[in-house]
Amino acid sequence: MALGGRADGRTGGRARRAATLLVGVALGCHGTDRIVVGAKNFTESDLLAEIAAQQIERRTGLTVERKLHLGGTFVCHSAITAGQIDLYVEYTGTAYTAVLKHAAGPSADSVRTAVTREYRERWGLAWLDPFGFNNTFAIAVRQADAERLGLHTISDLARVAPQWHAGFGYEFLNRADGFPGLAAAYGLRFAAPPTAMDLGLTYRALADGKIDVIAGNSTDGQLAALHLVALVDDRHYFPPYEAAPVVRGALLERHPEVGRALAELRGKIDDDEMRRLNAQADVEHKDLHAIARDWLARAVP
Amino acid sequence: MNLVRFYLDNAREVAGLVGQHLVLVLVSTAIAVALGVPLGILLTRRPAWRGPVLGLANLFQTIPSLALFGFLIPLPILGGIGARTAIVALVVYALLPIVRNTYVGISGIDPAVREAARGMGMTDGELLRLVELPLSAGVILAGIRVATVVGVGTATIAAAIGAGGLGVYIFRGVAVVDNTLILAGAVPAALLALGADGLLGLLERRFVWR
Repeated sequence: MALGGRADGRTGGRARRAATLLVGVALGCHGTDRIVVGAKNFTESDLLAEIAAQQIERRTGLTVERKLHLGGTFVCHSAITAGQIDLYVEYTGTAYTAVLKHAAGPSADSVRTAVTREYRERWGLAWLDPFGFNNTFAIAVRQADAERLGLHTISDLARVAPQWHAGFGYEFLNRADGFPGLAAAYGLRFAAPPTAMDLGLTYRALADGKIDVIAGNSTDGQLAALHLVALVDDRHYFPPYEAAPVVRGALLERHPEVGRALAELRGKIDDDEMRRLNAQADVEHKDLHAIARDWLARAVP
Repeated sequence: MNLVRFYLDNAREVAGLVGQHLVLVLVSTAIAVALGVPLGILLTRRPAWRGPVLGLANLFQTIPSLALFGFLIPLPILGGIGARTAIVALVVYALLPIVRNTYVGISGIDPAVREAARGMGMTDGELLRLVELPLSAGVILAGIRVATVVGVGTATIAAAIGAGGLGVYIFRGVAVVDNTLILAGAVPAALLALGADGLLGLLERRFVWR
């Protein structure tokens, strides 16, 4: 008897949980009170997503769910167009070339104008104001090599490249604004075709002398820590990559306060500031949540 | 359909990557057998080492591959980037089933059989060669079979360290969200795994004493 009673109780609990779940799913479908923030699979994207999430939480009181470190550009783009996430931080040049498949554009303003219009028309997505920094591809070499050979620009690199080995991530090798175009723009030829490998491992491999050139991120905190230097894109091959939140238009209509909260972040992070924030995570190994909280408290009181 | 067209258009590249994949699996499994079987035998002679050695092999299984590559890159002989580093990682992952099955196979033999062999005046070497290895061959081969089949799947991570193989299509497909590309790597890898399983299954049936 007691056993039967307990079993009934348990079934009741399960039914209640199922009901709660159903209600939760129903609410989720209507998206009345929960905002899902996504991020690409690298520190800066996670960090900016966390900053955006905390800013929304503290200004609007809405519940924010984090789905950080999802994957590359295309994974996040698929997720936001499918409605799986409401917001993530994208880079104008990446959207322009890799998502919209345009040839590299001339100026920051024209790239931003174009992505804003096309994202709205094609997917109902809104580009908010940029954070204020440009995270371009950093064609990086060891500082010692750069000093020894007097390398400052990618054109200088093209001179020594035939004796060198490069290692690039899969995304850079396969993007419209990636390696094939770069090689054509500068006449770059290496001793062997670039090694395709995991992006994170390229930094390590370069620092340890296993390869000589990588394509990292210019705001990466690890460049300085590993004594690597980025070469100047003297032929302006890369478009500007200004970071800004991309948000589903439907969310902004339902919760205009989200747009107002994020507008406060406009222009608040320049290149050096972003590098410092990234270094706090990647070099000093501080907690993302704490970095975002401290930065918001200081920069956007 | 897309996949068929992809293979027709890229036949040469696909063949090259399948070849790289096979080399990675064959070399790493061969090394893992050469290390793992003697190590398993050693454990039956030194039971005190069983806990630490199997524990270590277990621990290796839990290291994520990217982390393992990160540790390996700076090492002088084992490390760097390319096929060698990938093979080292694959050996590390293949050791556990081989060591464990060798140990379990030999220590599971009826002690009376071993006593009888001793009674006939066999030396330790003869006991191993004529009695223990033949009797435990089925279990040991089963371990090698597991290691090989798992290795075919695991070898896709070699693409993260510039060692090629079918993982190249998977990594490229994930980077640009192209399901055809992901399948172009995953389908032949699955077929290779099934093929390896079937072949080793035949071998197992041939060698096992019943």
